[in-house]
Amino acid sequence: MNAPDRFDAFLLGDGEKKVTEEPDTRIPSSSIFTFNKEDHTLGNLLRSQLLKSPHVTFAGYKVPHPLVNEFILRIQTDGSLTPKAALMQSCKELVSDLSILSREFTKEWELRKMVGDGAKADDKGDKGKGPVR
Amino acid sequence: MDYGVMDVDEVGPRVIIRESFPDRADFILENVDLAFANSLRRTMLAEVPTMAIDLVEVDENTSVLADEFIAHRLGLIPLNSKQIEDVLYTRDCDCDQYCENCSVTLTMHAKCTGDEIMKVYARDLVVSEPRPNEWVGNPIITDEAGLGAVICKLRKGQEVRMKCIAKKGIAKEHAKWAPTAAIGFEYDPHNKLKHLDYWYEEDPIKECFKGLYPKKNGMWEKESANQADGEPFDYNAVPSRFFFDLESIGNLEPDAVVQQGIKVMQQKLAAVLQELAGDDNRNGDVGADGFGGQEADGMQGGADYGVDQGYTTPYVNPGAASQWGGGATPYGATPYGQSGWNQ
Ligand SMILES: [Zn+2]
Repeated sequence: MNAPDRFDAFLLGDGEKKVTEEPDTRIPSSSIFTFNKEDHTLGNLLRSQLLKSPHVTFAGYKVPHPLVNEFILRIQTDGSLTPKAALMQSCKELVSDLSILSREFTKEWELRKMVGDGAKADDKGDKGKGPVR
Repeated sequence: MDYGVMDVDEVGPRVIIRESFPDRADFILENVDLAFANSLRRTMLAEVPTMAIDLVEVDENTSVLADEFIAHRLGLIPLNSKQIEDVLYTRDCDCDQYCENCSVTLTMHAKCTGDEIMKVYARDLVVSEPRPNEWVGNPIITDEAGLGAVICKLRKGQEVRMKCIAKKGIAKEHAKWAPTAAIGFEYDPHNKLKHLDYWYEEDPIKECFKGLYPKKNGMWEKESANQADGEPFDYNAVPSRFFFDLESIGNLEPDAVVQQGIKVMQQKLAAVLQELAGDDNRNGDVGADGFGGQEADGMQGGADYGVDQGYTTPYVNPGAASQWGGGATPYGATPYGQSGWNQ
């Protein structure tokens, strides 16, 4: 039949690039990035991280069509860094946050195991953040 | 960083494990934004690799069920996926169709000789050696009798003989590769942000947040449901505490699902970074081992952003090995293997 292959949603085609940048000539310090074989998982994550930067004046993403496995991300900066640099910075911040999360989770999970499986944090008022009422 | 109102990022993500079971993790993720928490949820649901039967060679099937019907049932049987890093994707393997580096072979042979109806269970799948590691491909059996899922029933004289090839995959390709049965996800249990529009008869506080639907997660909020009554609505408020309830299918332990989800997200970001950095200097000449050598050049700007050396970490499980996987993995590839886009 004519159904697309399921792996089209996450495997790059031959010679296809993960990201391409198209500078927006109408506005300074502005670019449109196209991400191939990615979806809201990465799009919204990057958008939200970019908006935390004081040098980013605009960041927005969209998935132009639900059957096309790409999203576009538009970034405009205040000119003190390029949109690409802002994007790379955001990626690095996220990778770093994820590393922290991984360590935190490992630590907390091991602690929980020591207390015993099935133990409830509620009983212990874990970190002083137990039930309020 | 000279970010202004970054109370969130200064501490980084925090985790509180509320309950942990062999197949369930109930935890709270704090100090992250909604996009981060949701991306983690989406990644764990659809992009954490596991093992599942993908190819079935039918030698004999005289049961009442059609070949493809049984093949589908076989695909849905959860298989142990511990340390799945040891298994290659078949598409990245050098072999023609499948081999012991990229697959696990399970055989099923059952014939009913008695007068009673005979049931064939997941425990009747025999795993062949060698395989990538000692766990991968074992059918998950959690019932007390040690039977596992029912595959089919046979009447006297009926026989099934099949060779099943289990491969590595992700749920984005087929739901049989999903590591979780469900992931509970909630934030703002008192609905202070008004992201939800609850239906109610008379009093939303009484009907939605107390009594009728007592909210377990609401107890973790700083204020009780009615405390903020009469306060002006805060248009700038954002959620920062997320309640996860992750239920594993059994192929991976729940903490492994979280850690693998984190890793997959890092690999996505690393792939973007690699592509962008590659544009700058070597025009695509990134080396066959993907990330090897990347930290040397092109990434100098990464020095100032925190504890870690950025995307040199994704392939090392940070902070001590947990029991599911442990330490550094020999990953050097793109998210889905070498043969893809970085050649
Ligand atoms: Zn192979």
